[in-house]
Amino acid sequence: MSVGTGVSLQCENILVAFGGLKAVAGVSRSFESGRIYGLIGPNGAGKTTLMNALSGHATLSAGKVVLNGRDITKLSVHARTRAGLGRSFQITKIFAGMTVLENLKLAAFAHLYRVQPFWMPAGRFADVRQGAEKVLEQIGLERLANAPAENLSHGDQRALEVGLALLSDPSVLLLDEPLAGVGHERLEQAIELIRRIVAGRTVLLIEHNMDVVMQISDEIVVMVQGQLLASGSPAEIKANPAVRAAYLGEDE
Amino acid sequence: MSMLRLDQIFMAAVVAAMMVVPMMSASEESLNLISLILVWGLFAVGFDLIFGMAGMLSFGHAAMFGAGGYALALLAPQVGYVPALLAAALAGVVLAFLLSVFALRVSGLFFSLLTLALAQLAYILASTKLRAFTGGLDGIPGVPRPAMFGVDFYNNRNFFYFLMAVFVIGVAIMAVLRVSPFGSALKAVQANDVRAEQIGYNVQRLRQCAFMISGAYAGVSGALLASLMFYVSPQMLHWSTSGDVLIMTLLGGKGTLLGPVLGVAVFEVLKEELSQFTQHWYGILGIVFILCTIFLPNGIAGLFAKLGRIGKGASK
Repeated sequence: MSVGTGVSLQCENILVAFGGLKAVAGVSRSFESGRIYGLIGPNGAGKTTLMNALSGHATLSAGKVVLNGRDITKLSVHARTRAGLGRSFQITKIFAGMTVLENLKLAAFAHLYRVQPFWMPAGRFADVRQGAEKVLEQIGLERLANAPAENLSHGDQRALEVGLALLSDPSVLLLDEPLAGVGHERLEQAIELIRRIVAGRTVLLIEHNMDVVMQISDEIVVMVQGQLLASGSPAEIKANPAVRAAYLGEDE
Repeated sequence: MSMLRLDQIFMAAVVAAMMVVPMMSASEESLNLISLILVWGLFAVGFDLIFGMAGMLSFGHAAMFGAGGYALALLAPQVGYVPALLAAALAGVVLAFLLSVFALRVSGLFFSLLTLALAQLAYILASTKLRAFTGGLDGIPGVPRPAMFGVDFYNNRNFFYFLMAVFVIGVAIMAVLRVSPFGSALKAVQANDVRAEQIGYNVQRLRQCAFMISGAYAGVSGALLASLMFYVSPQMLHWSTSGDVLIMTLLGGKGTLLGPVLGVAVFEVLKEELSQFTQHWYGILGIVFILCTIFLPNGIAGLFAKLGRIGKGASK
């Protein structure tokens, strides 16, 4: 590995066990600042569980998560978000019953205020509106600002899903299948969006579309049966016989 | 969004009209009825912060309601009425905090059951274990009313104005809370708590704050009811009190500011009218409630929302 600008996320021997099943069986790995890591592996390899362990949704049986030099293993989900860790979900989790802009404003309020102001109408916060509109533009949903979020097309909902994670301006962004279910005609646009928003951040990306993940990522990390099997540049991974056997071979 | 919606204006008009009735009519019955509606209305308005906004079904609000009543009954003779009323709010907050420490460890149905169990514990404490303070099942008679500005609040008409003042202040504060970022955050927690936590909201703290504020409303309204009746008893702490406020809120329309007040009004008026004819008024109320949940899922407020839409359509 060449020397990067520093490590932003570090996993130290992470173990997540559900009963006897070790979903993540001792993963140690550093992720360097500003790089995009594609996390691939067959179904059940533990990719999402590893992401859950990093974001605080899964409890670690052992190990440590270090974010920008700070041990965040014991922090709750919201505290990790405050510490600079953003995440989007595989299954879309947006706020139904609210407009797109209202969704983004909620994320802006959560980011800008530790104690939510209770003495003034929410509409009067210019900083929140500006923050939300900036992200609205980034994710290209300006024309849908006042549309109810649940009425959005699937592709637009995926974009909003990512947008919600962006408002905290995370230094490390975990994207769990941001392109899942996005149709062919929207794919180019969606990839373009991801490229734009990840700039300058450390990104861990789970994606099943091999062409896309090889195209976007600086480095590919392969996970099999809860453990890291290999990592390297997309070209190296494509050529790696162990990876082909464990994973790519299945599809071909 | 910033514009007041038509249905909200309608509802406010109905509530305002209701408060004017006792001023126009000399009848003692309507005075007592509206006084009761204001007190229970305040309780329901506070209850909806937790139920309608945060989406948590508390079945233990009777505990805070009763605690407020007892706090006022015990403290007013010592420290004066208004400090005792504030103490009643504080009693509601403290008790809500204690309940939340246990009940917020779980969610959904388990939260409801835990709040119910803890409130029943408070009921048992008040009715037997703490008999020395609470008077046991006999309760405490002679709960005072305020004495200030040289006004005789033992006159029901004067006390009605006092209740109205507290009610209006309570509703105004709640109106601001609901549209504030705090209110939006509660809605976010209800809509998707996993996502709310992920974007950085401290979901548990938000729920706890809402529960405690709701507890303050319960405490104050419980104190006012004790004052109105000159009496406080463990019946206020009974689980059926928690059930009543829930039914009133659902009847009126959860998730709206004034819907719960209308629910209280319908509940109290029906109770008043029906109980003159039959002992089985509670059963008939139950049938009305069932019919309402079937045909008016959004309560009376839903009816107003429909009216509002028609009104808007006509003006175009």
